[in-house]
Amino acid sequence: MTRIRKLILRRLVGAVPVLAIVIVGGFFLLEAAPGDAVDAYVVSIGGDAKMIEELRQSWGLNQSALARLGFYLWSLVHLDLGQSVSFSRPVLDVVLERLPNTLLLMGSATALSFSLGSLLGLFAGSRPGNLRDRLLSIGSLALYAVPGFWLGLVLTVVFAVQLRWLPVSGMETIASGKQGLERALDIARHLVLPVASLGFIYLALYLRVMRAGMAEAWRMDFVLAARARGVPRRRIAIRHVARNALLPLVTMLGLQSAAMLGGSVVIESLFSVPGLGRLAQEAVSARDTPLLLGIILVSAVLVILINLVVDCLYAALDPRVGASEAAA
Amino acid sequence: MPLLPISRRSLLSGTAALLASTALPSSLWAQTPTKGGRLIVAADSEPRNLNPAMVASNGVFFVSSKVVEPLAEASFEGKDGLEPRLATSWEGSADGLTVTFKLREGVTWHDGKPFTSADVAFSALQVWKPLQNLGRVVFKDLEAVDTPDEHTAIFRFSKPTPFQLIRNALPPLTSVLPKHLYEVGEIDKNPANNAPVGTGPFKFAEYKPGEYYRLEKNTSYWGKDLPYLDEIVYRVLPDRAAAAGALEAEEIHLAAFSAVPLADLARISKVPGIAVVSRGYEGLTYQLVVEINHRRKELADLKVRQAIAHAIDKKFVVDTIFLGYATASTGPVPVNDKQFYTGDVPQYSFDVAKANALLDEAGYKRGADGNRFSLKLLPAPYFNETRQFGDYLRQALAAVGIDAQLVNNDAAAHQKAVYTDHAFDLAVAPPVFRGDPAISTTILVQSGIPDGVPFSNQGGYKNDGIDALIAKAAETIDPAARTELYREFQKKVEEDLPLINVAEWGFISVARTSVKNIANNPRWVVSNWADTWVEA
Amino acid sequence: MNAARFFRSPEAVAGMVILAALAAMALLAPALFPADPLSIAGPPLTQPFQDWAHPLGTDRLGRDVLAGLFHGARTSLAVGLAAAAAAIVIGSMVGTAAGFAGGWTDEVLMRITDAFQTVPAFLLALAFVSVVGPSLTTVVAAIALGAWTGPARIARAEILSLRERDFVAGARVVGMHPVEIALREVLPNALPPVLALSSVIVAGAVLIEASLSFLGLGDPNRVTWGGMIAEGRTVLRSAPFLSIIPGIALVLSVLGVYLTGEGIVEASAARRSLS
Repeated sequence: MTRIRKLILRRLVGAVPVLAIVIVGGFFLLEAAPGDAVDAYVVSIGGDAKMIEELRQSWGLNQSALARLGFYLWSLVHLDLGQSVSFSRPVLDVVLERLPNTLLLMGSATALSFSLGSLLGLFAGSRPGNLRDRLLSIGSLALYAVPGFWLGLVLTVVFAVQLRWLPVSGMETIASGKQGLERALDIARHLVLPVASLGFIYLALYLRVMRAGMAEAWRMDFVLAARARGVPRRRIAIRHVARNALLPLVTMLGLQSAAMLGGSVVIESLFSVPGLGRLAQEAVSARDTPLLLGIILVSAVLVILINLVVDCLYAALDPRVGASEAAA
Repeated sequence: MPLLPISRRSLLSGTAALLASTALPSSLWAQTPTKGGRLIVAADSEPRNLNPAMVASNGVFFVSSKVVEPLAEASFEGKDGLEPRLATSWEGSADGLTVTFKLREGVTWHDGKPFTSADVAFSALQVWKPLQNLGRVVFKDLEAVDTPDEHTAIFRFSKPTPFQLIRNALPPLTSVLPKHLYEVGEIDKNPANNAPVGTGPFKFAEYKPGEYYRLEKNTSYWGKDLPYLDEIVYRVLPDRAAAAGALEAEEIHLAAFSAVPLADLARISKVPGIAVVSRGYEGLTYQLVVEINHRRKELADLKVRQAIAHAIDKKFVVDTIFLGYATASTGPVPVNDKQFYTGDVPQYSFDVAKANALLDEAGYKRGADGNRFSLKLLPAPYFNETRQFGDYLRQALAAVGIDAQLVNNDAAAHQKAVYTDHAFDLAVAPPVFRGDPAISTTILVQSGIPDGVPFSNQGGYKNDGIDALIAKAAETIDPAARTELYREFQKKVEEDLPLINVAEWGFISVARTSVKNIANNPRWVVSNWADTWVEA
Repeated sequence: MNAARFFRSPEAVAGMVILAALAAMALLAPALFPADPLSIAGPPLTQPFQDWAHPLGTDRLGRDVLAGLFHGARTSLAVGLAAAAAAIVIGSMVGTAAGFAGGWTDEVLMRITDAFQTVPAFLLALAFVSVVGPSLTTVVAAIALGAWTGPARIARAEILSLRERDFVAGARVVGMHPVEIALREVLPNALPPVLALSSVIVAGAVLIEASLSFLGLGDPNRVTWGGMIAEGRTVLRSAPFLSIIPGIALVLSVLGVYLTGEGIVEASAARRSLS
């Protein structure tokens, strides 16, 4: 297993420059934005020039951009994510408070779209070109073509407002005092609609990739050879063809971890789920640089970890890849 | 008159009282309030600081006004539009140098300590005057607060300060903080800023960021048998469509501040168990204003400004953009203001032909493409309606040959572009009228305001006559004379059009019909809700 | 690709027809609806099929929905195609270079790709548009900025597994230049999975544009379907047609792009399996 161990080491070392690029890039992007945190704040309350000056002073915004970046990186080295200006609380506290909600939402939605998507992809790809394949492909695309916010709105109107089967929004019944299993069930009920709105949309991606990989594999020499030998089609489909599609499927899983977080921006604000996506949007509009960088950093670490797992899986599935990587 | 056993006057005041105590038609009959219960309301934002004495804004008041009380609250029927809270009476001296407050006795803070004049003196001198966004203007000449006894506070000003202004400022500006919790350490870092302690009918209980605020009944509140509710929960619902859905699904009882979009009101008002209430915002009037950058040579020409005013169909704005939930403006003071408003000002009727003629006269002829000149138009992003009005204004200007290019910014970028960088030609702003021109409206016209101040004159407009009027009104003690000066101000503004007032509006509440006693004062949403109750 | 095979697939033909219709709408919009589609043309909230001056009705301000639909086809298609084209070209170039060159080039390119990928595409687009200010080019750039990493990764993964295969080894033995091998032997074989993504990327681009408009970050001087949906959203319950009509247009165009892309991939795969 030294191959995989080397891979992990390489990835972890590689993560450092990635995080540095993300942090510095994020900092300057927000720096280039018109208006700063004080501008964003005084919009909601008004105030005179002296007060605005005092706010800039006390939030440290009157220093140069480079000085602030240096200060930020310096405290980052000491594992301090700084203070959020819009919440006036430590960034780490604010982020960690929201992280579990987002993980739960993203995890459930990914599980839904991955399992359902690849399963349907397997059905579609086992006989590429037949009616079932065509219907599944078109049906999944129709879902993918529906804007996420719109699907969420329609689901809410139907299942929460009209039928009242599920709650309209939120993560759990507020201030309910529920504990243990009762609370878990309550959260699950609240998650159904946001997870469905997020997961159904990305389902098409897994279906597409699974199906495309399988359709391609049917024409490969070893598959043609197996068919010539008279191996049953169903067995080829699962043993050889689906396996060929696994690599791009796993790649897609890694890719989607970041995309899901992006999709959750709209879904979280639609369903009032207090998660990282919504927080990031608020941080951008409040020009809360430390908070936005904290969110980016935490989600980047998350994405890097997921991709590490994906790469290990990848190496395990296709020995040639790991070998060439480890050799490089 | 045997058929009318009561006089017209008593009938009117009786009706007023009835309307004031019950907002919904279905509850016109006197009902015995149900005690207890939880009221769940939608909140669209989470203020970073919940201290209403430092940050006088509606977003903060919405939650904290139930916890921390001002000296007086706005009222439909009270004298001068006020009713007592922590002060029982207030009186200004003839020279405008002192104001004497008698304070309520037997009031305790939520932590059990007694409320005294020392708290008022501390709040005024240490918080309202130096720290508060609006108090900095109104209390700038406050020199000292004498406390001859525990229930008397005498404000001493170094320069004559109009008592009328102080009175109008009482509800939003005078939230009283507990001295014993704030006298140690820096005021803006005090933990009570995020978990306020006050004298109000509700105690601050809990805050779960991104989810809710919870307030609990204050069992030792000074108001007899008040409050009725056991709990108020503010559920954080940042998405506008969420509030309507949550109301219909009975997950919340009330959505204030027009959280339900105007366009959805006609539909939702027909849903059984839900009522649309437009009262309770009379003291929080917003104004739809076209800000003009007078640095642009075309816009520095009065004829061009008049042409723009004539090009705007205020009726369309009120009927179509605001769906009737607004009033056409005649000038910088809203029509519903009883003290200062005058309609006796030049009017600009909707008249495209006249607008075209004025532009021709000004020397800006249409070019080959039908355009006279191009403008950059920045609608403020805070409300649906300001953006929609931006879309409309672009079309209205196109009709008179002015090509307006819309620039959409988010809140911070808009603030920077308009109020700091002046990178606009026309902008659409929604300033709020705070009951006195000295702390609202005049700031949009007055010259000499430093760059960066939001909702102020950043269009480079300077008119010595108007500046002199504003300065004189700020030190005029006699209310009648002061009012007269502001009437003159309105007339001057409409003559010279430093900006164009288009419409004014209050917000709308949508509530379950089981919620009673809502909208019974002009600032109801940001008042203390002591007498609000929910039908069992 | 095999044109005959392409036209034998009913899905591919349907896709082409939809795309052709969309292109026609986009091209004919200025001729059929010469007035500014944002101008107020009639009474607000006219229902569809009521007034033949406005066959699909009018919106909250009285703007004609049909005119908006035609002009919106221009912007939505332009945004979707431009953003996706940019993303795919950049992505497959980066991916091919990284996968084939290996070593430090691979390392640097993949770290940059990683950096872009760790930031959610939508968040990046949102931040970018907030910073630069909403306009058509900004929106295209913002979407491409977040979308190129997908093709890059897939292209690289394909190339990594392809370059070990026999026909590449054969080309090496024959003495072909590495760049020639990359362009003539490896890339054409690596492209189908990348192109299989293209429809999804166009869809993504159009949908991100819609989401940006939904959050108020679209170009306010142009009609976009995303913007129309966002406008109609406040009256979703009482005048659902305002969000449904541009929504259907959106779904259809995405479907058209997808089916056409699919047909092309299938047809070129057929050529490959024949050769």
